[in-house]
Amino acid sequence: MDYIDPHLHMVSRTTDDYETLARMGCVAISEPAFWAGFDRGSVESFRDYFRQLTEFEPKRAAQYGISHYTWLCINAKEAENVSLSREVIAMIPEFLEAKNVLGIGEIGLNKNTRNEATIFLEHLDLAVKYNQQILIHTPHLEDKYQGTRMILDMLMGDSRIDRSRVLVDHVEEHTIEHVLENGFWAGMTLYPVSKCTPQRAADMIERFGPERLMANSAGDWGPSKPTAIPDLIMELKKRGHSKELIKKIVYDNPKQFFSQSKPFTHG
Amino acid sequence: MNTKLNAIETINERTAEQIVSDEFLIARAKILELAATLDRIERARGDVEDTRHMQLLTHGMQILCDDEVDKAKRVQLLMSREYDPRWKDSMSIAKKES
Ligand SMILES: [Zn+2]
Repeated sequence: MDYIDPHLHMVSRTTDDYETLARMGCVAISEPAFWAGFDRGSVESFRDYFRQLTEFEPKRAAQYGISHYTWLCINAKEAENVSLSREVIAMIPEFLEAKNVLGIGEIGLNKNTRNEATIFLEHLDLAVKYNQQILIHTPHLEDKYQGTRMILDMLMGDSRIDRSRVLVDHVEEHTIEHVLENGFWAGMTLYPVSKCTPQRAADMIERFGPERLMANSAGDWGPSKPTAIPDLIMELKKRGHSKELIKKIVYDNPKQFFSQSKPFTHG
Repeated sequence: MNTKLNAIETINERTAEQIVSDEFLIARAKILELAATLDRIERARGDVEDTRHMQLLTHGMQILCDDEVDKAKRVQLLMSREYDPRWKDSMSIAKKES
């Protein structure tokens, strides 16, 4: 089955991974900007990273027939450095016209600090000013619930934000309802230990229905599985769910959401 | 905006009997892993009974055995930091006009 992975950090993966993804049915990837595993020293480092995301990765993906899209920002972890964050935010518009940029992301919170919230709000201003879609990272483990509620407070406190153009990622059992009930899109991240399994993702689809819901692997440089979406497809098939339902989650929904950004042309 | 979710309980295609039969071995293995972990802690030197992590695990296991629904969500909330709706004031984050 053709599918789209709406959150996958291919800069940390090998070309062999592109090949495996293509063989498994992946036809498009969206890659949000994220933390490299270490704090970068200057705005120039981010400029090079954004060139990699907008110039090099789309070419690497195209060799395997995969469309590559991206989102730009300074991630929540490095947002603790407010002055560097402001330099990065000021530089992002240089790249917003690139052919594969879908919007601003993955912005969010990490340890739910004041600095992170300040930079999150400045990213919202940037997105509104340039009419960009938004992809959101919610914190992990014990910080997730508090951080997700804080993020929703900031989004809902800003009347300029069109909720149907915001995707809130890494939702789990205790946060999914808040996100969907308030009109946002939600992404479930299939990740070996710290996030959600294909089984629990299938449970959430059964519980909350397929509207505005999608799944991603968030594959990155840590222990993660870039081919996690085929695992979810298998789990849903095993449970006897229809092809239409499965396709809606792994293909139609990401396509519908991304189509709200001009550069998205897939299918 | 409050988009009411069409809570689709009916989307579940399998009966309870089917789920127990499909997932018995998986759940059995997970219980055994947990049991062996508790044995391992018990055999080791030191006392962890009063530590926060051990208390969270014990409380989590109680949720598995009680009569209430929404166990996954309740375990998640148990393992979560508290959310204060007035966080913007305590962090002195300016509110946007809306
Ligand atoms: Zn990510």
